[in-house]
Amino acid sequence: MKNKFSLVAVFAVSTAMLFSCTKEPLNNLTNEESRIYVTNSDSTINFGSYKTYSISDSVAVLDNGQSYKDLNDVDKAYIDAVNNSMQARGYTLVSKDSNPDLGIDVNRIYNTTTGYIGYDDYWDYYGGYWDPYYWGYGGYGYYIPSSFGIYQVTEGAISIDILDLKNANTKGKIDVIWNGLIRGEGIFSVNNAASNVGALFNQSAYLKTGN
Amino acid sequence: MKAIKIFPFILCILAVSQVKAQRGEVKMNLQYSYALPMGSFKNDVISNGSPRGVTADLLYNISNKFSVGLGLGFQDFYQKYPRALYNTGHNETTSAVLSNSVQVIPILAKAEFYPLGGKNVAVQPYISAGAGLGVTSFTQYLGEFGGSNNGGNLMLQGGAGVFIPFHKFSSTGIRLGANYNMVNYGKNGFNNFNNINFQAGISFPLR
Repeated sequence: MKNKFSLVAVFAVSTAMLFSCTKEPLNNLTNEESRIYVTNSDSTINFGSYKTYSISDSVAVLDNGQSYKDLNDVDKAYIDAVNNSMQARGYTLVSKDSNPDLGIDVNRIYNTTTGYIGYDDYWDYYGGYWDPYYWGYGGYGYYIPSSFGIYQVTEGAISIDILDLKNANTKGKIDVIWNGLIRGEGIFSVNNAASNVGALFNQSAYLKTGN
Repeated sequence: MKAIKIFPFILCILAVSQVKAQRGEVKMNLQYSYALPMGSFKNDVISNGSPRGVTADLLYNISNKFSVGLGLGFQDFYQKYPRALYNTGHNETTSAVLSNSVQVIPILAKAEFYPLGGKNVAVQPYISAGAGLGVTSFTQYLGEFGGSNNGGNLMLQGGAGVFIPFHKFSSTGIRLGANYNMVNYGKNGFNNFNNINFQAGISFPLR
């Protein structure tokens, strides 16, 4: 009978090991694979009818409800990458004062979520390793004061908007006719800016001038 | 080191009772399971086979030919698809690596039939049937963004295989078999997690 219980115990342990061997999707992603590239466009727009564009000289930072302008190396890299992609599609960069057909802005977006974790929630897990005997007070118990710790998770995104300036006066408004969004690991890296912007343009084949 | 730990376990199995299979006996089947997705599960969610599975049956021998009891298990399916474009909304396109992860835990009422039960044969074929709850967890990610849906739905199982006793009339032996598992799901346009699993393990009496 003891052997049978041993078998069951071994099976239980094996089952637990199998559960722990479950393939965790997020652990099997590289930084590149973690990224998503999302594009939205106005299907009524003929992008071939636009020829010139202007791009903002800095980046709007939207940080949890607050906004300001900034220009660091990553921002410059993204602005350069957008310029390269637009010109590769036949558009001509002009100054903001030269009545560009299109306006482009680049944005950094941060969204921070806040939560808390009870100190006694995890004390039970590791506290057992420090048996009171370790401190020379065998038989004593621990008292855990009620407290909690704050944790914050900040997720960032890069957003690129293309605005219809050519028809702004006619429509009486500035339409956002294309938006690209980049999310995931490693997006705030100078080295990844060109490939990230390139991915947005690659999935937007319609984004080219008629010249 | 793993082999050294496993070896006494195998000896332990061999040493377990060699009594005849008989009415009133409670037996346990423990098996490793490899599963292949079928149908829409294979076409729409995961096409890869799963080498991460286990099944366990606790059965009561009504006679030499019939056993009834409980069937449990666990199977983990996972597949990562290369980056592709997905329509995620009106005029919205998303480029992403798609990851699908599905876990199935069957909790079944189960019956087995041994047509040659009670006869002194080297190989005892069997057929089995089960019905109950398939507890499922389905997690889907675009890149690192996604979420999961958990649930429990009807699960039906039909299987066949062989039992190879270690000795004449022994209740302890090796089991080899396969099950077709119908696992209902019905959320977000996904209908089922049907699969066929191939299993190999041991069977031994508990009393």
